[in-house]
Amino acid sequence: MVVEGSNENDQIILATGGYDHTIKIWQTHTGICQRTMQHAESQVNALEITPDKSCLAATGYQHIRMYDLASNNPNPTVNYEGITKNVTGVGFQEDGKWMYTGSEDCSARIWDYRLKSPHAAKIFQTSAPVTCVCLHPNQVELLVGDQSGVIHLWDLKTDHNEQFIPEGDTMILDIDVDSEGTHMAAVNSKGRCYIWSLTFGREGEPTKMHPKHKFDAHKRQALKCRFSPDSTLLVTTSADQTARIWKTCDFTLLQELTQDNQRWVWDAVFSSDSQYIFTASSDGCAKLWNVKSGHMEREYAGHQKAVIALAFRDAVL
Amino acid sequence: MALYNNKLWLLSHIRDSFISTDDTGMSELVMVGDDVPKQLADKLDCYRDPEDSEDDEDTSHESYDFHLDVDFEVQRQRSNTAVRLEKLDNAKKRAAKVKNIKWEFSPVRPTEQELGELFVRKEPKKNVSNTRKSLLSEKLEQCTNLPQNPYIEYAKFDGSAQVGILTRKYKIFLTMLPEEHRNYPMTVSCIATAKIEELIGFILLKCSTIHGDFPLKPVSHYGLYITEEDGEVDHDFPNLDPKESVAKFGFTCLGLVEHKQITKNVSFESSQTIIQHEGSDEINKISSKLHMDDAQQITANMHLMKVHATAMEAPLYQSYRVYIVNKMRAKAEIQLGISGEKIEIDPLQQKNSKFTFVRQKPVSHHIDSVAWCEVTDTKSSGTAFRVVYSSSFGGGGGSTNVNVNVGSIQSPILQTSTSFKHYDFEADHNTAEEIVQKINLILELRSSGSRKEYLASRERKQRRRSFHSNK
Repeated sequence: MVVEGSNENDQIILATGGYDHTIKIWQTHTGICQRTMQHAESQVNALEITPDKSCLAATGYQHIRMYDLASNNPNPTVNYEGITKNVTGVGFQEDGKWMYTGSEDCSARIWDYRLKSPHAAKIFQTSAPVTCVCLHPNQVELLVGDQSGVIHLWDLKTDHNEQFIPEGDTMILDIDVDSEGTHMAAVNSKGRCYIWSLTFGREGEPTKMHPKHKFDAHKRQALKCRFSPDSTLLVTTSADQTARIWKTCDFTLLQELTQDNQRWVWDAVFSSDSQYIFTASSDGCAKLWNVKSGHMEREYAGHQKAVIALAFRDAVL
Repeated sequence: MALYNNKLWLLSHIRDSFISTDDTGMSELVMVGDDVPKQLADKLDCYRDPEDSEDDEDTSHESYDFHLDVDFEVQRQRSNTAVRLEKLDNAKKRAAKVKNIKWEFSPVRPTEQELGELFVRKEPKKNVSNTRKSLLSEKLEQCTNLPQNPYIEYAKFDGSAQVGILTRKYKIFLTMLPEEHRNYPMTVSCIATAKIEELIGFILLKCSTIHGDFPLKPVSHYGLYITEEDGEVDHDFPNLDPKESVAKFGFTCLGLVEHKQITKNVSFESSQTIIQHEGSDEINKISSKLHMDDAQQITANMHLMKVHATAMEAPLYQSYRVYIVNKMRAKAEIQLGISGEKIEIDPLQQKNSKFTFVRQKPVSHHIDSVAWCEVTDTKSSGTAFRVVYSSSFGGGGGSTNVNVNVGSIQSPILQTSTSFKHYDFEADHNTAEEIVQKINLILELRSSGSRKEYLASRERKQRRRSFHSNK
């Protein structure tokens, strides 16, 4: 029921957005654009699909906009405002109870996005613009990275927070925690990747973070890091025109995904069985790669400008 | 419309229509006396307040004079401001459909219970690594050998849902598609900076996604033509230059035509076939094979055209060099001039031989005196043909009558006892054929008295001959 006339593709949603002020929904196995939505006034910084797959959230300058995936409405249905600068990240609690965002106005926020529980709204102030937000799979701890190189661990239940500084004055660009909640990865503007192993805090206590590994993933800025759903792989994307897949057992390189003239690789996401990976790049294309072979399988062309955000929902058979 | 429920209004509307449209004025004379709707008003409209009816503002139904609606004003050019205001208004309306939620931070600290409900600590799922296949992988495996759409590079010219970029919208008729898809246009929106060839590529991309099973050729095989709203491609104009920007052309309705030969400009043949394609359904039904052998159709059409052209050209003057053959079988080269008015035989000076066995004087015959022309003998050396003419035509001057006066054509009725004479010529096969065809075409066009007479006498002769042979 995602898009009309695509019943066979019901459960798979791939959305891309970027600098051309549009969001496109793709039929993943054919590479055909099914739908284009307007994101007026600003570029798309980040995209996320709600857990019930009914809506797509897109963040831009000062706004978070919600698009209906069930209809063909090219305009947003809900507009969240009140942030003074770019909204850099968005995500949802796994049951869709609330939405979290990070923004360059030095804050991370919890939104009661369905207007059901007015007391859900929360704000967490940082000293530098927030570049990324990531929810721990335990659903109560939010990891917030900022431009000064600090990673904040914010406990939503107690509002207790802790700070980690892997490398001073080096912008943290992305953080991810694997689905089992045992490892955390962060990448910075020097292309370095940091790995922590996480141990569960006892009831009420925050998660403990133990630095485990660090390596130079890229020569230039690393832009995104993402664990595979089975936690065996980690993908990092970079301004050096590549996306690299690392094995999490020893952090050795498994594949380098690169193509001539693809320019900056902004975003990447694994399929639910960790066999494929989508990337978004400045050449205006999203691409699908086979993880095992490292070959590009599909190309999703149609954007006028750089594609910088991806949202993907797969289904398990 | 509420008024159509109003019996009274309907009745007076009928009455008024009669009065206002009847030019003779009889309806008015008859009906103006008794206003039936008014009389019936109370009976029909029992709910109407009698007092209200008197000062009812809406009394228009009681008068048959025309009332111009107050809002109905003469349309005038709208100013830029008005257009811009409307745009703003539309944007506002669109925005009105969007629910705006402002960031609100409630100073009231949520209760422990609420916190407990909202922020529930969950155990991360363990051992997710059991490899179950994803739907994506399944789909990809199902179409592993999917050929790359050759037009995918044109996807970036899509103008739909673009913000802040000038776009152009076109109605495209796809003339190469099967009948059932050809009659309605496909709406295509492309960015204004695209070139015509890029627009063609994008149309083909869209076409290939909609009509997936239809084979399409490279972009250079197609041309965009100015087309009527009903889908009729206008072949009087050449196709839009593929190298030009779409913004250069102001047409919104275009037809995509597959070129038979890859030429920049479509040739006459291909436009012929298209007309054939778009012919009435009946023709298409009768000969569904027609589409199958387009080539044959083209050659047939070409042949028809050629025949037509030669017929048209037949009365134009043309001269040929042929040999005239006299009764002694001696040949002399002459110039044979044929036009819609006369046939001229002019001797040529034979420089290379001093002896000329045949002396041919220049002769001219009015075309109406010529009765028959046919090929008599075909040899390897050449073809002999005969021109039969009436010797008594034009004052009975005879065959050597030089310069028959064209103005003094006599009525063929006078030629009661016509004697026919003939010339024998010889020429190479092609020339002979051409001459015979030309003369016969002229004769058919004119159907002179001499010709009719000759035909009749020939028939008589044949009958007599058969009569004799039967005996």
